[in-house]
Amino acid sequence: MHFMRQILPTILLAAALLLAWQTYCLLAAVLPLLLPAPTDVVGALFAERAQIGPHALSTIKVATLGFSTSVMFAFVASVALHFSPWLQRGLMPLLVVSQTIPLVALAPLMILWFGFGLLPKVLLVILVTFFPVLISLLSGYGQVPQAYLDLLHSMRAGKWQIFRRATLPMARASFFAGLKISATYAIVATIFAEYAGARQGLGIYILTAKNSFRADLVLAAVVVSAGLTLLLLAGLRLIERLTAHGYRGGRNAVR
Amino acid sequence: MLCVERLTLDVGGRVLVAGFSCTLKTGEITCLIGPSGCGKTSVVKWLAGILSAEVDAQGSATIDGVPIGCPHPDIAYQPQSDALFPWLTIAGNAALGLEMAGMTTAAAHRAVVAHFDTFGLSGCEGLYPEQISGGMRQRAAFLRTMAQDSRFVLLDEPFSALDAVTRLRMQDWLCTRLAATPRGVLLVTHDLHEATQMADRILVMSAGPGPLAANIPITTPRPHRTEAALADIRTTLKTLLLEN
Repeated sequence: MHFMRQILPTILLAAALLLAWQTYCLLAAVLPLLLPAPTDVVGALFAERAQIGPHALSTIKVATLGFSTSVMFAFVASVALHFSPWLQRGLMPLLVVSQTIPLVALAPLMILWFGFGLLPKVLLVILVTFFPVLISLLSGYGQVPQAYLDLLHSMRAGKWQIFRRATLPMARASFFAGLKISATYAIVATIFAEYAGARQGLGIYILTAKNSFRADLVLAAVVVSAGLTLLLLAGLRLIERLTAHGYRGGRNAVR
Repeated sequence: MLCVERLTLDVGGRVLVAGFSCTLKTGEITCLIGPSGCGKTSVVKWLAGILSAEVDAQGSATIDGVPIGCPHPDIAYQPQSDALFPWLTIAGNAALGLEMAGMTTAAAHRAVVAHFDTFGLSGCEGLYPEQISGGMRQRAAFLRTMAQDSRFVLLDEPFSALDAVTRLRMQDWLCTRLAATPRGVLLVTHDLHEATQMADRILVMSAGPGPLAANIPITTPRPHRTEAALADIRTTLKTLLLEN
């Protein structure tokens, strides 16, 4: 019930937008070649499901592989930077600069250097998703109240104990916020990498559809990509719920 | 007996505390009062071994004549806020000190759970801090401090976050608890009423860095500490605090 009330505005707004789109296509009599109506897109998606399916599967595989590798690297890097202020001062500006490299430049280079296989795509996903996760972890580490640190210091806890007992649990919320941002990038980055050159995946599917002037198929692929992103986010949400420490009920239930 | 002698603290040439000395005896509650900014908290933090590295400290602490370094296993510290970790249960929070001292999680839990009744927390073992009231949270923080079994306890304004009624109850409750398991307590407060109700000895710090403005023993037994019996001491304390 609560869930329904929460997503009801989204559903209503989306339905209104789709309805407007559909009405416009009907009344203005636009060429379906230029702007297919939502019903055309759904029709195309259904008709082409056997073709799109394997492409979508390939995309989600690359995205999750790249994303999980990236999260692992980001975690290790965050611990290293947390314990070495020198490294943090040295590396952070370089990492920030690395984020300014345009994907359009990077993707073809990756293909050029590493071929059409899995590696260049996974690398691209890592490059795109690594930074938000790292930043969210580091900012989470900085949020530990001084009183927690004082308490543990007075108990003669070592720096690893403090990290494990206070710093890491404290960074949880911030970590998941960063994960969610990165997860949305992961699918987009994968599709871009495939667009630059691949044998399979939504990116190459979009490229082929575009080249044969099938706007309905391009949009169908967009719908699938949105679906994949939502799927990834739902998965993260589930992990967040399952691993939650502390009271999970409503806030301030008893006071 | 814990003795602090001629403690001087300064940050980059700015003196916070100068020539501070005090003695904590087992079974005695010593209250440290003084105007804000006089360095009460700095003294306690130095004893807890958590003063920032920028502060230059000179002076010595000894337990029974033996010089010690801080933090020390015989000195437990309780910060101003209850500092209960929201991701740990009340039992988990209470057991934290024992675990840090090297006990296994299971053993530490067993050790603290035995005290939940006397701390008025029975039934709260598996609850999380946000599920219990402010007074109970404070008792859980006291349990975490007392469970460490240190001979000396440093309390930095432990009641400041509580409402007036809860505060009065908790002051009484803490005195009873401490009578049952005597410790040497150093309690920082800015509340004259609290100091006169709880203390065996009141140390008054002066506003500027310098030696103590006063060291006043309170000999009236706690059951006889009526408003009338304490009126004189409170007047003296007020004058001391307002004068310097």
